[in-house]
Amino acid sequence: MAGFPPPIFTPQVDVKTKIGEKVDYSNLPCPLIYEELHREAYMSLKPELFEGFRFDYNKMVNEKFFVTHSVLMGPTEVPTQHSEVIKIPTASYDFGAIFVDPKLMLLGRVTTDGRLNARGKCDLTENFSIKGTAQLTNEEHMSQGQLTFDYKGSDYRTQLQVGNGSIYGANYIQHVTPHLSLGGEVFWIGQNRKSGVGYTARYETDKMCHQVASGQVSSNGLAVMNYVQKVTEKLSLATDFIYNYISKDVTASVGYDRMFKQSRLRGKIDSNGVVAAYLEEQLSAGLRLLLSAEVDHVKKDYKFGFGVNVS
Amino acid sequence: MADLLPPLTAAQVDDKTKVDEKVDYSNLPSPVPYEELHREAFMSLKADNFEGLRFDFTKALNQKFSLSHSVMMGPTEVPSQSAETIKIPTAHYEFGANYFEPKLMLIGRVMTDGRLNARLKADLTDKLIVKANAQITNEPHLSHAMFNFDYMGSDYRAQLQLGNSALIGATYIQSVTNRLSLGGEVFWAGVPRKSGIGYAARYESDKMVATAQVASTGAVVMNYVQKISEKVSLATDFMFNYFSRDVTASVGYDYILRQSRVRGKIDSNGVASALVEERLSMGLNFLLSAELDHKKKDYKFGFGLTVG
Repeated sequence: MAGFPPPIFTPQVDVKTKIGEKVDYSNLPCPLIYEELHREAYMSLKPELFEGFRFDYNKMVNEKFFVTHSVLMGPTEVPTQHSEVIKIPTASYDFGAIFVDPKLMLLGRVTTDGRLNARGKCDLTENFSIKGTAQLTNEEHMSQGQLTFDYKGSDYRTQLQVGNGSIYGANYIQHVTPHLSLGGEVFWIGQNRKSGVGYTARYETDKMCHQVASGQVSSNGLAVMNYVQKVTEKLSLATDFIYNYISKDVTASVGYDRMFKQSRLRGKIDSNGVVAAYLEEQLSAGLRLLLSAEVDHVKKDYKFGFGVNVS
Repeated sequence: MADLLPPLTAAQVDDKTKVDEKVDYSNLPSPVPYEELHREAFMSLKADNFEGLRFDFTKALNQKFSLSHSVMMGPTEVPSQSAETIKIPTAHYEFGANYFEPKLMLIGRVMTDGRLNARLKADLTDKLIVKANAQITNEPHLSHAMFNFDYMGSDYRAQLQLGNSALIGATYIQSVTNRLSLGGEVFWAGVPRKSGIGYAARYESDKMVATAQVASTGAVVMNYVQKISEKVSLATDFMFNYFSRDVTASVGYDYILRQSRVRGKIDSNGVASALVEERLSMGLNFLLSAELDHKKKDYKFGFGLTVG
């Protein structure tokens, strides 16, 4: 139930309040969308690592319509009974189409393993929008779809989610002070007859997000805390702590995100003994080289990949 | 027994003979050493493709002595019963030391799997060279060593090889004209009580090299390299084993550009591969390697960095 973490309130800093001025509670800014609560941390700590060779070609058919072709070849891990890691070379091709309009966005992706991924987002009014996602596969009972209704108030957001397999969820985020947002969530899964609640908080120092701290607790046992600090315009550091109080699983990670003139380098190290790095270099206009490396010292698994991104 | 194939005499082109001058048979150039018969073809067609990450660091301690550290990490194929290719991630570290002098060369390499590789090349006199090569492993009976004695005459080369487990071989190459060399070889392996004989020929001009080699082990190798310009050369190769009826033909190219070198080849076994070496700055080389085996559906990609 990754899509139903407790809502997080996003406080936003108003520059004027730094000097201890009276906070104008009737004029707080609007918080971030629920899913994007941890977005700064995830941008630094979760780059798209891959293994093998990757080729992406994005073609702009006109201003609103894009077509993408994506090829990924390389060793893919297969699950085995013993602890050894076994890989088999595979190749896959993805075709995608994106339509972007100020009020409407449609995205579709189909892969060679027979999976179709479709997303749509429509802004009905300035404050109200509808989102739908669907994942269809060949295998029976593995397809899923979800519909989300989003309402944006002056300093709050609320969302209602309905999914197949009778999954219902609602979340609410409210700006409490210019820096702090708090929120909560409930969800109910019909198939397993499970329900849960969650709470989140997000604290941000200023509009430029120089420091962002967010936390999330959910009744399915998950507690997430992360902190991102923007050290300079080009460098930001992030740290993350994930704890499951039911299964007693703990993971902590530290990462950095460094922008150069022509490239971007992201690296991270984990408490599970995983060290990863991801480099994107702009070779020329429209041509990017990607290098990805992930070394898992505990499982002795090494994943290296290079790729090209053509726009 | 690849280097016990019949020796091939290497003809070398002399600019003067282009205008159909009389060939001076008493002054023919020295042929190419036997092991290096196919060297132009193998430079293009047998590039070092790898999978995963490769990092090489070479440090020169002084003019003659250098150390090298080499790390290779990535999926390595393990033999399996089914037709599928299975790979397991592995990591290797190799430490090497090299000593180079005009008349003496020593190379040693030791790896984390317990293998030691040592090579020696000494010029005893102007014409006599002795070479030794040893591979020592942990496992018993898998270590071997080989000694070569090379004698270089005015227009011929002769070589005697002695290896452990009673391996004896001899090769002879002679320049027949300025462009053509012919040669022959015999070998005797004591352990499987096998002996063999072979013949080779090499024809060379300043734009092309053609070689052919036949051995009694059943291997027939023919290749042709054409140097189209200073930067581009194309090569093709044909290998045939008349006992096992195995045939492989391949075509490849080699582009040497200012900052990089690209080598690509395609095979009759459905294998397409390429290797790019780019010089990022002085002493820093970036490598990209790709090998696609369409028949076996095996894809190998790797990148690496060479320092020094």
